[in-house]
Amino acid sequence: MADPPPPVRVAAWGCITPFGDARSTHAALLGGESALEAVPVLGREGGDPVPLALLGGRTLDETAPPAWLSSVKRLAATVPAGDWGAPGRPVFVTGSNFGVGGLYALRRTGNAAFAEWGAPPTCTERLRLEFGWGPDVSILSHACVSAHLGLLQATRAVHAGIADEALVLSFDFLSPFVSGGFHALKILNSEFPAPYRERAAGSIGLGDGAGFAVLSRGRGDWSLSGQALYNEMHHFTSNRADGSGFAACLEGASAAAGGRRVWFKGHGTGTLEAGRMEVAAASAAFPAAPIVGWKGGLGHTLGSCGLVELAVAIESLRHGRAPGTIGGAGPPMAPAVALESFETAPYGGVVCASNAFGGAHAAFLLSDA
Amino acid sequence: MPDPLTARLKQLIVETLRLEDVAPADIPDSEPLVGGGLSLDSIDALELVVRLEKEFGIKIASSEEARHALGSVAALTTYIRERGDPSRLPS
Repeated sequence: MADPPPPVRVAAWGCITPFGDARSTHAALLGGESALEAVPVLGREGGDPVPLALLGGRTLDETAPPAWLSSVKRLAATVPAGDWGAPGRPVFVTGSNFGVGGLYALRRTGNAAFAEWGAPPTCTERLRLEFGWGPDVSILSHACVSAHLGLLQATRAVHAGIADEALVLSFDFLSPFVSGGFHALKILNSEFPAPYRERAAGSIGLGDGAGFAVLSRGRGDWSLSGQALYNEMHHFTSNRADGSGFAACLEGASAAAGGRRVWFKGHGTGTLEAGRMEVAAASAAFPAAPIVGWKGGLGHTLGSCGLVELAVAIESLRHGRAPGTIGGAGPPMAPAVALESFETAPYGGVVCASNAFGGAHAAFLLSDA
Repeated sequence: MPDPLTARLKQLIVETLRLEDVAPADIPDSEPLVGGGLSLDSIDALELVVRLEKEFGIKIASSEEARHALGSVAALTTYIRERGDPSRLPS
């Protein structure tokens, strides 16, 4: 694993979830709310009901143009103005699915309009034109650590002098293709997720989400440090059973914390094996840290989760209170799992971690600049 | 004489996963299917579950239930006999 880059500042941030913007989302999670509802896994074509958190007014079914476009526009309108995509101001667009649901709809209906947003390059080019960005736009995708990968690349661009400031935008919106795929793996089922809880069977929920961050060398009240990505290269869907990948990825954030007491915002989808490994690794690296996971309220927003949850974490620090772990019943996997909200003042920052298929792990320390 | 359901399951495993060097009779009844001598992984398990659901009219609800059902051929036989559509079970 490469050494983490030097710290970088977060000059602006935002997200959009079924609860609204970052502030509304933080408030809803503080109140213990969940946006997950039982929705037929294939939308209008039916199937088993599974827990999904869809943006207000949107159905799971694919449309052309995609119904989520208005939400991305609403989020983009909150990005500070600037010559994004011009030299020195690169844009990193990240996600795990982009408009892939459109390709499935194309296959089923033959309607070519579905193809226009279906692949990452076409989808990103349309967004670039829509938002008036210049040509310096990169596309990065690495499953559910996609947003972290964008943050890391943007940080490196800032420190290499390639960028004065960099915009990282990430989005993932659900479709029958995506929910059907997770359902086939038996990890998205009729049970609502209970992250970091012991029970007979695990389940995740999925959610719509998008987020952004503007990274800067010297501007902004928040700092990202100890950024790390670690890929076990072990298996398509599995982590090494000893949890070593989770532990290895936290080394950078642990060094950045330098003994400060922190809290830990984990990935916490609601699967049992990965949940236990993550809790064990977090407890070992940060023995005094309360551990929280928010996907019981938001669902797993897939490639965008790193940026969506970064925005909520920043709101937690700004307002001095972090939401606890939301969703389901059962004893927590470890005493460190915080089920209730708590004050952030006693802590020197929050370690934000995400994990992905293939044994991919990502983490950083978020703290006052 | 081997149990007809057990024999059918072993045949399905070989067919579905295209195990070229394995004969159905070579698969032991009690050895773990995933992570055992057959070297099956979670993607193989997914393929197998999809085939079993279609063939026997079962519904496996979660990954934990799948892991239990695929514990061994013997465990799978018991699981399908208890939950499968009786009209689809070999006699």
